[in-house]
Parts: sequence; C-alpha cells; structure tokens
Amino acid sequence: MTWHLECTINDAPVTRDIPEDLTLLDFLRDHLGLTGSKGACLEGECGSCTVHLDDAPVCSCLTLAAQAHGRSVCTVEALAESTTLDPIQQAFIDTGAAQCGYCTPGLLMAGRTLLDRTAFPEANHLLTSIEGNLCRCTGYASIIEAIQIAANESKA
Amino acid sequence: MNQPVRPDVPPSPTPYAAPPHGVVGQSCGRLDGATKTTGAIKYGADLFWGRAELFVKVVRSEHAHAEVKSIITSEARAVDQVMGVYTHNDMPGTNLQGLILRDHEVLTSGRVRYMGDAIALVVAESEATARLGADAVQVEYEPLPVIDSIESALAKDAYPLYKAGNIMGGKRIRKGNVDEALAGAAVVVTESFETQSVDHAFLDLEAGVACYQDDLLTIEAPGQWVHEERRLIALALGLEPEHIRIIQPATGGAFGGREDISIQIYLGLAALKHPGKTIAMRLDRAESVRARHKRHAMRIEYTLGAKSDGSLTAAKVTVYSDEGAYASTGPAVMRKAASHATGPYRVPNVSVDVYGVHTNNNPTGAMRGFGACQMAIAYEGMMDRLAIKLEMDRFDLRIKNLIQSGDEVTTGQHIQVATAVECAEAAMGKFREVNGGLLVQPDEAHLRRGFGMSVICFGLGYGDGFPDCARARVAFDDAGKAVVYTGGVDVGQGLINMVAQVAADELGLQLDNVRVVAADTALTDESGSSSATRQTYFTGNAVKLAAEEVKEELLDIAGAHLQLHPHEIELTSGFARAIHVPGKEIAIKELVAQGKKRGYKLDQQAQFKPGTLCEDFDTGQSPRSFVTYLFGAHVSQVLVDIETGEVKVERHIACHDVGKAINPQAVRGQITGGVAQGIGMALMEEVISKKGRILNGNFTDYILPTIKDVPHVECIVLENTDPGGPFGARGVGEPPLIGAVPAVLGAIQDATGTAPNILPCTPERVWRMLQDGTNA
Repeated sequence: MTWHLECTINDAPVTRDIPEDLTLLDFLRDHLGLTGSKGACLEGECGSCTVHLDDAPVCSCLTLAAQAHGRSVCTVEALAESTTLDPIQQAFIDTGAAQCGYCTPGLLMAGRTLLDRTAFPEANHLLTSIEGNLCRCTGYASIIEAIQIAANESKA
Repeated sequence: MNQPVRPDVPPSPTPYAAPPHGVVGQSCGRLDGATKTTGAIKYGADLFWGRAELFVKVVRSEHAHAEVKSIITSEARAVDQVMGVYTHNDMPGTNLQGLILRDHEVLTSGRVRYMGDAIALVVAESEATARLGADAVQVEYEPLPVIDSIESALAKDAYPLYKAGNIMGGKRIRKGNVDEALAGAAVVVTESFETQSVDHAFLDLEAGVACYQDDLLTIEAPGQWVHEERRLIALALGLEPEHIRIIQPATGGAFGGREDISIQIYLGLAALKHPGKTIAMRLDRAESVRARHKRHAMRIEYTLGAKSDGSLTAAKVTVYSDEGAYASTGPAVMRKAASHATGPYRVPNVSVDVYGVHTNNNPTGAMRGFGACQMAIAYEGMMDRLAIKLEMDRFDLRIKNLIQSGDEVTTGQHIQVATAVECAEAAMGKFREVNGGLLVQPDEAHLRRGFGMSVICFGLGYGDGFPDCARARVAFDDAGKAVVYTGGVDVGQGLINMVAQVAADELGLQLDNVRVVAADTALTDESGSSSATRQTYFTGNAVKLAAEEVKEELLDIAGAHLQLHPHEIELTSGFARAIHVPGKEIAIKELVAQGKKRGYKLDQQAQFKPGTLCEDFDTGQSPRSFVTYLFGAHVSQVLVDIETGEVKVERHIACHDVGKAINPQAVRGQITGGVAQGIGMALMEEVISKKGRILNGNFTDYILPTIKDVPHVECIVLENTDPGGPFGARGVGEPPLIGAVPAVLGAIQDATGTAPNILPCTPERVWRMLQDGTNA
C-alpha cells in the first residue's frame, strides 16, 4: 500500500507516494539521499538516527515516514546555515567529540534540542537528554564538553 | 648586483635534532571534523545512494554444527528481480578466508561450524527481493553435536570439530624453574578467571559497494588493512591483486572487528558475476552479531608465588582460549596472551601454557587488547589476592614488583624505558588528591564504596618476528599543498590528523596546508593494519622520514634563494626563515613553485621497518619480541549496591605514558573511550549464546555503556620520550581498555570483600557472588 506524503524536510516542501511501512530513516536516506542520519541498531537503542520532527527529537528508525505527513522534519544536513556551522557543530569539532563520527549526527540533533529547550542545562539534565545516544569511541567526555561549550555560546 | 651579507654568527645547532616546534603536540581539530558534523562524510552504507544497482544477501547456516547435504537454489532463482544465486561451486578462487590461518570457507562446501557460516549468495535488484531470494534457498542439513563451551570441547568423548581434534594450537613460555620456585615460596595463591565473549559493537555496520569493470574489481568497504584485504580477496576469488582496488570509505569504529574480512569477498563475487553493475551489501545488527568475529573468551588458571616480603618468585599460568569455529588471528592472540601473562612485573620463574580450543561459537579475532586484555584481568586479580594473603598494601606490593628500565618482561626482553612505576604513582597520587585517598562509606547500609588499581604493559606492533612495516609518501601538489599518502586506515582513531600533524611539523607548515590521501590501494603504499596500537609509531615514523627527505629539498632550494647554508634556515609557520637574520624569509609555497621549476621532485617515499625477533618455540623467550612497550595505570572507585548487585563506577583515573602526544586531545579521546569499553567489559558486555545460538544479538539485549555508566575519566598523559618513536611518540590505542577492566574488578573486591573472577560483573552475578562468597 502506498501513502501520499506531504511534509517539509529541511525547510523544503516534499511530496511523495511512499510505501506505508517505510521508516522515516529509510525515506530520508534511500528516497531523498539525505545520508547524514545513520542507522546502527534500527530499534531505537542507539540514537544515531535522531532527527527533529516538529522540533521534537525522534528516532527516525522507529518513526514511519507517513507520520511526518503535514509536519516538519529537520536533519543534521540542515543544522548549519549555509557555510556557518551551528555552535554545537563547531563545539564537536573543537573538543574532538566526533571521533569515528557515526554517532555524531544523532548526538548533534539531541544536543540541539536540549539547548533549544533549556538555556542553562544542569549536568544531570544534560546526561539524561543524551542518555539514549550510544557512542563507542569517546567515552562521552568530549561530547559533554562540546554541549556545555555550545550552551555557553548560546547564552552569550 | 647586491649580494646579501652573510652575518657573522656562531655555528648553529642542526635543525634535524630539534624537538617538535609546530603542530605536533597541539590539539588540532580533526581534518574531517566539518564533514563529520554536517553529515557530508560518506560511510559504507552512504555510498548506496545514486550508485547501488544490485543488492547482495547472504544465506547463513541455521545450525551451529551440521553437514550440508544439499543446497537447492532453483526456487530462489525464480524469485522476481533475483539476478543470481551463488554457492561454493561458483567461487573462482580458494574460497578461503582468515587473517592468519585461512581456515574459513567464504561459502560453505560441506560442513557448517557456526550459525554465521555462509551457504549461498543472492543478488537481486533490491534489498527486499534479495531477502526474498535468500529465504527461498533450500538447504538440507544433517545436524551434528554442538560444542558450545571450552569445557565441552575438552571433554574426553567430545565430538572432534576438526580432524586434528578440538585443540587448534598453543603457545608456551618457560623461564627458570617454576615448580621448584613455587615449592619454596612463602606464599602461594591460586585462582581461576573466566572472561567473556565480547562484540566490538562499532556503530557503523558493515556496508559497502563494489564494481567490476575493465578488468578491475573495485571494492569500497571498511576494513583495517586495505593491502592485506586485497591479497586475501585475490586468493579467495582467484584474481591477481593488481586487478583489485580497495578503497576505504569513512569508517565508524573498528576496535579490531574489521581486521577479518566481512562483506568484501561477497561483494567481489557478486561484482565478478555481474560486470559493470554497482553491487551493494550491508549487514543489519542481528546479522553482524551473528556472523562476525568476537573477542576470545578465556579460562585462565593462575598460580602465583611470592616471598614473605612480597617479592614475586613464580607464576604458573594455563589458559584455554575459545577460538570459536574458525581461528583466523587466534595464533597471534595466543602469543600475545602468553607474552603478557605476568604483565609489567618481575617474575623470575614463569611457565605459561595457552591452548586454543575450537567450539561451535562464533569465530574469534582481534579486539582491542588482543589477548593482553584478558591476561591483565588475571595478573592484576592475582596481585590483589596476593596482597590480601600477605596483608600488604595493594599499591606497595605492585611498586615492589614492577619492572624498572633495564628489567626484563616474561619473554626475557629488556625494556629500555619502563615507566610502570611512574604511571602507578601518578595515578595513585591523583586518587589521593581527594581526601588523601581515604574513602567515605555511604550512610546507606546497602551501599559499599571501594577502589581498585591496575598497572599494565603492552608490547606495541605485531612483534614476534612478524614483518611489520609502514610506508608513506609526502609530496607537494601543484597548488603548493603538502600531500601525505598512507595506506593506513582511519577508523575514527585519528590517523589522518596524526600523519598530517607529523608532516606539517617536519615541513614547518600549518595544518591547513596539508592534506591526506589514505587507504586506497591504487594511490597509497602498504602501511600495515590499523591495529596493535602501531600506526602512530610505524606510520608516524614513515611519514616523518619521507617528510625529512622533502624538507632537505626545501632547505636546499631555500639556501640558494636566501644565499645561506641550509643549516642556517628553519622551516616554520609556512616560511623558510634565516635562523639568525630576522626578517629574511621566503614562503614555502614560493619555494615549492621555484623548486618544481628547477627540477626538484619534492615527492619522497620512506619506509619504517624495525625488526623484532621470534619468540623461541620451546621457551617463548626473545631478546626483542616487540619494538617497544607501553605502560599505564588506572585507579577506579565504585559504589556497589549489595542488595541489587549493581555497580556504579564513580571515579576513574587513567594514566598512560604515550611517549609524546602528537595530538593531546586525540590521546585523551583514546583513553576515555578505552575506559568506557573497559567498564563495559567489566560490568555489562557479554555475547550470550546457547548451543551456538546467540541470544542477545541486538543493542536492546547486548548492553553497552551509556553516558550515565561512564564517569568523568581523569586522564594523566605522561610523555617519556621513546627512543624510536616519531618525536618520541609510542601509541595509546589498546592500553586504556586493558587497564580499566582490572581496576574496576579490584574496586568491587575492595567494596564487597569478595573478588569477582567471572566477567562481566552484572548485577545478578554480583548479587549471587555476595550470596555465595564466589561468583561462579
């Protein structure tokens, strides 16, 4: 069965007929070529596929593309404004938080949500907000540092 | 014509002996940082978009051990959009894979020995139809007895998995007279340890593309050693290596798990069968866990003897290593386990026997720590137990027995720069900064706090006489940028920055004037694997040597231009500068342009190949088994809930002597990441299987450390120059994991009074241990 999908992806209107059971992750990657969002577990455990659906972070592997109907999706590809990186992207580079980089897009989207919602995230709040994102390389220290730096940037 | 006046200056020191003065030692941001944070960088599965034409799916065994009676592919071939179904009969080459022992059929011809064994390959126009085709392949099995543990493999009447039996090989060390020393020891401690099977669990699942065109098979898939992969693929597929090109895409972690071939030969076979088409293949998490190699689970029996003052006199160690169905790198892992059996301690009498045992569990291979990790759990566990028995302080006992510079390790190799004591003192010093190292016990009666420590050593590189070599090329391109060519792969550890920073420092350039071409067999020379903590030492040296040659040329050109002897010129910040004449300088970019016109190559290659000597077959002794040794020490503080068995790591200190941190930020990243994996191995990670079937092949059930499981790791980076390393650097990759595990286990013992000897220390296992007094 197909579904007629109308939504906004990274500020651009998108209209497609898609299979009903297509996940948002597969739609982004296989139908639109937006390969920034990653699939690592495909069951909502690792957070690598995190995107914003109407400003809320979701695991795109557990979200049907059809659920985006009439809504707005934002992916890591739209985080930077033209050539200017978002402060959280720059902070990830500066702190070395992107080692292999595979968890990075999901962490950036989760971290961006945190900073959008909380100007002054407390340490425990910060940890809880990205607890659903697995990283196998960094031991998380540089990721925490990056989000804290980005928070300070946003405050300034 | 005005000739510049030569200044009257005293002889200047040669610039070649100068310490790093540029970007080496700087925490330069990753050169691939921007593409990694914008989603632009392409990993294996990202290459499918716009390119993939045909998709591959592998049919895997439904039995852990069985004879394959028949494979019927006719129904699969009839599935709509299925373009081909292939079995062992279609393999043009040896059909064998394996990094050291090529003992594993790519497509099974008769016997399946684990549930990941591949039986057939389906090529179709979409992944969905490839899966339908795979489901339609009919395989008739005759089940055989399943050997699912070391114990059942060694049982007297065990079914032999191979003609030679279930023991595939071994490794021994004989030094002094152990039995005599143990008989004369004032104190003897005996214990056994069980370490678990661990999955590498890199996030970036195995995925890639391949195409066969114009007699060239191009495979773009993540590995750890592109040149060796090319050789292995060539053998399996019956091609000449020069007809194969391997390109490494961006790679999301490896940790040893990509050393063995994963999807490359399947991609290659499909590409050969469908010339001109771009073939795509990826594993999902369940298939990755089911099919791929694991860390060796080991049973370690350890007897340690000491004098009454705590001086170690003898160690007798027997290790059984679960090699799984196929051994691949098993022999090397056994060698590493044996040579690290007593770690950084002086033990005059040593006897080690390591046995590799075949089972119907997953094949085993390299994983961060490579046998040395399991042994550290044992020797540090023994030091804790010995300290209790001697009623000695754990730290003092270690210090008393740690090797000093000039002392020898188990293999008889004398260590030039041994900094184990320094590491241990630095780590404990840091720990004692809080409350003098005295722990405050929580008010809650069910919570217990404790701390543990570890001191470890690690022989860097392949060692043991293996030919271990790195090559590099440094050249200036037409835009005046320096280009480093290396066959080494960056799997996330930061090799690209390491080589760029070494070259930039040598050539006096800023980092943005260097670019790196890595891991493409058509463009780069062999540099060995990204494993064994070897790339900084090996490829770093090769890049430095090649850059030194280019630097000689630049100084020559600059000398002619500035009318100075080359020794009076330094290359720094993008300029060739007269050392003693302020303001007299020329941009390196300009020198490059001039030099190229005047016939200078500005393109040099170098190789770095320090030899090691084979360990003696009977005794395991070698004057130089490894090129150099790394040392580290950890202190870990835990809180144990004795009602639930939960263990929380509250504080963790990791000290590593890296020789020289080429990029301190990257070094800290390796340390904190290694500690996180160590906490995972100590407390939660375990591949659980029953009769050869993995029960937790996903991230819901295979538990990985989250941000809440890993405390802030206090890193101490020591820089005692290595005589042979580039800028004195050694390496850092594996030791942080090796040090973390025993420190956490020691802390549990300190908190609860009961020493764990089975990993991982899950809440249930800790709870049971506290009920029974053992965790068996």
